[in-house]
Amino acid sequence: MKKITLPINKKSWSWIWKVAGTVIIIVIISCNLTISTVDQPASAPGGSIVPITLHCTITSNNPQTSALVVGILVPKIWNASGNTTVTFTADQTTGPQAMSLIPPNTPSPYGNGLSWQDDMLATIGHAGNLIPEYEWIAFQSNSQYTIAANTTESVTVNIQIKVPNNNVLFNMAYVLAESSDGLHSTAYNNPSTSYYGTFFPPTPLRITGSGTLLDFVNPQLSVVVPGSSLDNDIITIPFNANASVNGLSSANQVYLCATGYTHTKDSIKVCEQTARTRLVSTGQGQWQTNIWPRGFFNLSPTQGLDSMEYYFTDATGATRVGYGGKATPFSFTFSCQ
Amino acid sequence: MLRIIKTGCILLMGWLIFSCKVEHLTPPNEPMKNIAGSWGIIHAIRNGTDMTNGFDFTKFRIVFTDSTYAIDSLLPFIVTTRGKWVFDDPQYPFNLIFTPADSSRSITAPFLFPVTGGVRNIIFTFSPGCPSNSYQYTLQKVN
Repeated sequence: MKKITLPINKKSWSWIWKVAGTVIIIVIISCNLTISTVDQPASAPGGSIVPITLHCTITSNNPQTSALVVGILVPKIWNASGNTTVTFTADQTTGPQAMSLIPPNTPSPYGNGLSWQDDMLATIGHAGNLIPEYEWIAFQSNSQYTIAANTTESVTVNIQIKVPNNNVLFNMAYVLAESSDGLHSTAYNNPSTSYYGTFFPPTPLRITGSGTLLDFVNPQLSVVVPGSSLDNDIITIPFNANASVNGLSSANQVYLCATGYTHTKDSIKVCEQTARTRLVSTGQGQWQTNIWPRGFFNLSPTQGLDSMEYYFTDATGATRVGYGGKATPFSFTFSCQ
Repeated sequence: MLRIIKTGCILLMGWLIFSCKVEHLTPPNEPMKNIAGSWGIIHAIRNGTDMTNGFDFTKFRIVFTDSTYAIDSLLPFIVTTRGKWVFDDPQYPFNLIFTPADSSRSITAPFLFPVTGGVRNIIFTFSPGCPSNSYQYTLQKVN
């Protein structure tokens, strides 16, 4: 048999293989999860079900079998873990596919032991919400799905959140991921961000309900944390001296002046400029103090607090800053949502 | 000759069978947990946020004897008054059951009892106010 001789020399073959190999690897490793757009209402009434739709694409040049994971950033007072339904449809599915809440202690892949929820907070953040009363909730498809090689799959995620009747302004955020790679995989030398997609809607979601507006978006002079607290909790009372021009904007000492109102309609006032009421500076005009209301107001075992009013003073007690930077005190109701 | 071999085999089998003895294994005895003494808070977390340096936990004391406890400088805690306590299981306890003297109702508190840096800790997780607020105190014995 006659030996076939290729018209290319050995050195050229070597280069052709190197280039072709690189191209092949680039093609194989390409993978992308993207949230392209989100349908989210600008506002919704308190007590209603807020419908949200994520329009997503998943591209993979390598066969991949995983469960779909969706994360949603929500205010804690919504108790959204128990009030949210998530389903999705995809090119390969027939009808809506169920998704279930990921239990809070489930570790995320490559997450250093962090749960999915904690990992989302650490990796994706809190979307600029200023009051640390937010949480990520995470859902996972009940089944695993295979994306064939070299395909792009359209995925539509439908989210329905039953929100309580509180006035809220909140920056929502969403993440799309899959159960194998999580938020940190760098498989095939891909950046971890190629294994998940995020979406931060440009406008916040306004829930029109009752009570004082819980505004996560605009700087507030003072919002008690946790928002749901009783007199036997330890509460954080912050003061943001930079939120608006006020009498304590450039103060070097800030004190709390508070009045507690008991179940029997008695009032107990603690207004002094001492170590007990002094706020600690946390830098850049931020101050805070943590109090245990039962101890702070020296309640007897039979007494309990319904609410509290407070304002801030300087070291002399003469300058007073309350709600809106004026003299009217802030008010806080002790209750659990 | 065959008879000798048969007899030998039977004797060997008998020896093998009767040489087996039932071994009585005694599991190592788990020592009883001793929490008697005065305990203070060395670390406190509220809803995942470290509160240890943001609030004065230093004065709080809970003093356990063999069956009673007393609290000094009360803070948000599982119980507010002195009383009696027992483990749910003396050898393998998962819960500490408090019965305040002024109440007939017992409060079951899950706890951990790890050794960290050679020192025994008690870790309680509880919600003294709203159920949505979770506190975790790490206690260590104080002299």
